[in-house]
Amino acid sequence: MTKLNYSCLFLLFFVGLSHSLGAASEKSVVDEIKNAEDRFDNRSVPLVEQVVDEAVLAKEEYQGGSFRVLARKAKIERYKCSSCHTDKPVTAQQGALLTHGDIILEHGSEDQGLSCIDCHHPQDRDYLEDKKGRKIDFDHSYQLCGQCHFRQKRDWLGGAHGKRVVNWAGERTVYNCTTCHNPHSPRFEKRFPATYSVELD
Amino acid sequence: MSSKKIKNEEIRTASLLEKKSTRRNFLKGLSIAAAAGSAALTTGCIPAADAASTEELKLRWQEFFKKNYRLMTQEEKDATVARLERLSKLNANLDVQMGSYPPLDGVLYGYAFNITRCEGFMECVTACVKENNLDRKTNTQYIRIFEMEPGQLDPSTGDGQYYHEVPVDNKFYMGTQCFHCEKAPCTKACPTKATWKEPDGIVVVDYDWCIGCRYCQAACPYYGRRFNWGKPEIPKEEVTRRQHYLGNRIRPMGKMEKCTFCIQRTRKGRLPACVEACPTGARVFGNLLDPESEIRYVLKHKKVFRMKEELGTDPKFWYFID
Repeated sequence: MTKLNYSCLFLLFFVGLSHSLGAASEKSVVDEIKNAEDRFDNRSVPLVEQVVDEAVLAKEEYQGGSFRVLARKAKIERYKCSSCHTDKPVTAQQGALLTHGDIILEHGSEDQGLSCIDCHHPQDRDYLEDKKGRKIDFDHSYQLCGQCHFRQKRDWLGGAHGKRVVNWAGERTVYNCTTCHNPHSPRFEKRFPATYSVELD
Repeated sequence: MSSKKIKNEEIRTASLLEKKSTRRNFLKGLSIAAAAGSAALTTGCIPAADAASTEELKLRWQEFFKKNYRLMTQEEKDATVARLERLSKLNANLDVQMGSYPPLDGVLYGYAFNITRCEGFMECVTACVKENNLDRKTNTQYIRIFEMEPGQLDPSTGDGQYYHEVPVDNKFYMGTQCFHCEKAPCTKACPTKATWKEPDGIVVVDYDWCIGCRYCQAACPYYGRRFNWGKPEIPKEEVTRRQHYLGNRIRPMGKMEKCTFCIQRTRKGRLPACVEACPTGARVFGNLLDPESEIRYVLKHKKVFRMKEELGTDPKFWYFID
């Protein structure tokens, strides 16, 4: 009888062992990721490539703290706007060019698109203005765009929308809204792909 | 080989036979024969032993008998990298800077692909081809973009060879490449242990230990691997010279290659070429072990899925929707 008991115990032991081994091999990388809660020092990574484009410290934070966004003002051809937009009336030779005749406005719904002063400050042309009447710097347009596109802004802050510049490590610098999107017609234009694929062997 | 060279070889061999045999001469002859033999092994023909190729011959001889990358010490890695740099200079007159830098501590690379955002512009593909020195003749590409019907999530139902204006209304685009599985079936299939998963999660190939049997290609359920049928052809001015031993160095003929998450970039903190080139921000890359990284944000807050997850390969490549 004891012999039978022992063999039963033995069998149970093996069943248990194989079970735990099986469970161990089922462990997924997802579990490993979930358990990784220690902060990783991004600045400990030696970088070979630096961000060369001008960037400014963002006025908001992401999950890792402060970050930088690519500056916009340097890319606006005729900034500062107040050099033309003064109180005085302007007489210009190239009127069509200087009155932004080149801008195609395709932003907002089809029947009720946006107009200039929906985003631009009506008086101080060097700034943008949100719906609460706050002045917004051109470099921080995400504060303005985020009023309507709040889901995109949330994802952008977290890192699921837009992208980082040059490095995955080091100080976080991300593309601004206007780095990729033309604010006047933000949808990407249709075009031919950069290349094509051939059949796999 | 020209007939003149063959004649020279014959004369040399004949003179060797006629010489009076001493111990010294015997050993000398043996070493010449061995060197010639090694050259024959690597190229299939015996090169003329003039001054320039003696060095090449010596380097190739040492290269042929080097260890598997994983068994090398750092000195041995440095030595092979130096030899490969020199060989590249001798063979193609290319000055490359090759590295063998190790994985970073506390880093596990992961990738996410936004199927809502990708619009099929394929700029990732051209950037990848350029960065990784892929063969231009056969149009080898690590990344494939599929034009998909709504509701489908299996790329085999999509069109991988589209060429028209994109994005097409009511279609979506899905990119595939090597998914760097945690339980990578390709590494198990390799008979020479020439492919393995590095501690930072990147599945790599030691091109010099690969025998080109293509078992790994058959084992990969994602069609992530590519084979070099010929010697890669790349315009000299387009060669990316900053290289890694396990990454974008120019592969010899008959070797397996694949996406390495741009190991030569990512181990230096840089984004892979595809992520940097993506015009729509559909590609997210980062450290899975960093709770503050973008990739972790995606995994935590977005609806994600992995391709053929039921196979248990545990890929580190997620698809997500906005």
